[in-house]
Amino acid sequence: MPAYLQPKTLDEAFEYLAREGETRIFAGGTDLIVLMRDGVIRPHALVDVKALPELQGIEIDNNKLVIGAAATCGDLIASSCVSDSCLLLKQAALTLANSLLRNRATLVGNLCNASPGADMAPAALVLQGVLTAVSPEGAREIALKDFFVGVKKHVLKANEIVTKISFPVNKGRGIYLKKRRIRGHDLAQVGVAGFHDEDGIFRLALGAVAITPLLLDDFGCLSASDLALEKADIAKEAVEAAKPISDVRASSDYRLAMVKLFTERIVDALAMGREVEQ
Amino acid sequence: MTKKPIHLTVNGQEYDTFVSENATLLILLREELGLTGTKEGCGAGECGACTVIFNGKPVNSCMVLALECEGARIRTIEGEYANGELSDLQKAFLEHNAFQCGFCTPGMIMSARALLEANPHPSRKEIKDAMEGNLCRCTGYESIVCAIESVGVSKS
Ligand code: FES
Ligand code: FES
Repeated sequence: MPAYLQPKTLDEAFEYLAREGETRIFAGGTDLIVLMRDGVIRPHALVDVKALPELQGIEIDNNKLVIGAAATCGDLIASSCVSDSCLLLKQAALTLANSLLRNRATLVGNLCNASPGADMAPAALVLQGVLTAVSPEGAREIALKDFFVGVKKHVLKANEIVTKISFPVNKGRGIYLKKRRIRGHDLAQVGVAGFHDEDGIFRLALGAVAITPLLLDDFGCLSASDLALEKADIAKEAVEAAKPISDVRASSDYRLAMVKLFTERIVDALAMGREVEQ
Repeated sequence: MTKKPIHLTVNGQEYDTFVSENATLLILLREELGLTGTKEGCGAGECGACTVIFNGKPVNSCMVLALECEGARIRTIEGEYANGELSDLQKAFLEHNAFQCGFCTPGMIMSARALLEANPHPSRKEIKDAMEGNLCRCTGYESIVCAIESVGVSKS
């Protein structure tokens, strides 16, 4: 049975993390509680970081949207800072599980869990999220695009705690489309986010179709009409980048077909300034 | 197994008790406090049978560790019935035949209660969105949505 530890300061948290045995950082708990219940993980200790002052708040600072690691997806949906600066994040958060789980699950926890199908990853990638990780050695920034390295694997060291994620405020427009079998109750079979930023740069990110969420950011600067003309090439590049497996949720072929369809829908909608139904 | 002390308020009443470190809020309510109105369906955050209101927000009590609730204010289905009378939502569920086995009902009512407090006159779409984490295996959702809608309308 894991010890449940609630540090009041970062230093205290570091001390707990340095202890003997497997220690897990605990935030919303919506992944860890299920894994412990099923005996998939048997940590010696849970370090609940939710109350640490450095992890609180959602604010605009210096033209960046800064979201503390303790902020839940529900907090993010309710935040006018998020709606005003990064609407796409709110759109993605609304597809994550259901409102009960969103009141516990955190954005940063969803990313640190590093699931290939993490609902918040595609949106956070196209919005150029940057994590701040702290350890006794100091703080460092990690661009989200360099964060994921494998299924449930990331670049954090055992003594690092992510305190926040920041996004450059950008007046562009984004769309996240998620394919799932049951609304409110299913992980993504495929998730695709696209963002056309205020300078015309287009970025696309794919979830649940490779061992990590994927960011495709080499399309360069495109006007709305160029974007529409490039649709087929962009979709082709997305399908080539995706390396999906077949599993209980969907076959590989189905996932590839959905990547193509969603990418085309997103490009069309961004080029024409239209909405798309989730 | 050593247990840890915990202090919390449930339905306005303060409790001091002991729980094991891996116990969930659901276990604390049912097994330590004897409040068995809150149900365990899946125990994995999927069905909503265990929904309670935690510091004003609806959550799956199977997805919260008991020790996270130190000092918390929790509301459960037991808090709906007061002064010898069923609550408006409980009456509406009866009137609309919004349950058959009743296993999902405590969770349904707590989710609906949180919704109505945040939004006293929800549309049917808003009701369905807010209730998407609560599954019912026997009644069908139409009557549940109607019951919640009727309380919203009667408050106008
Ligand atoms: S018992 Fe908690 S969600 Fe099913
Ligand atoms: S009334 Fe039986 S599960 Fe809903």
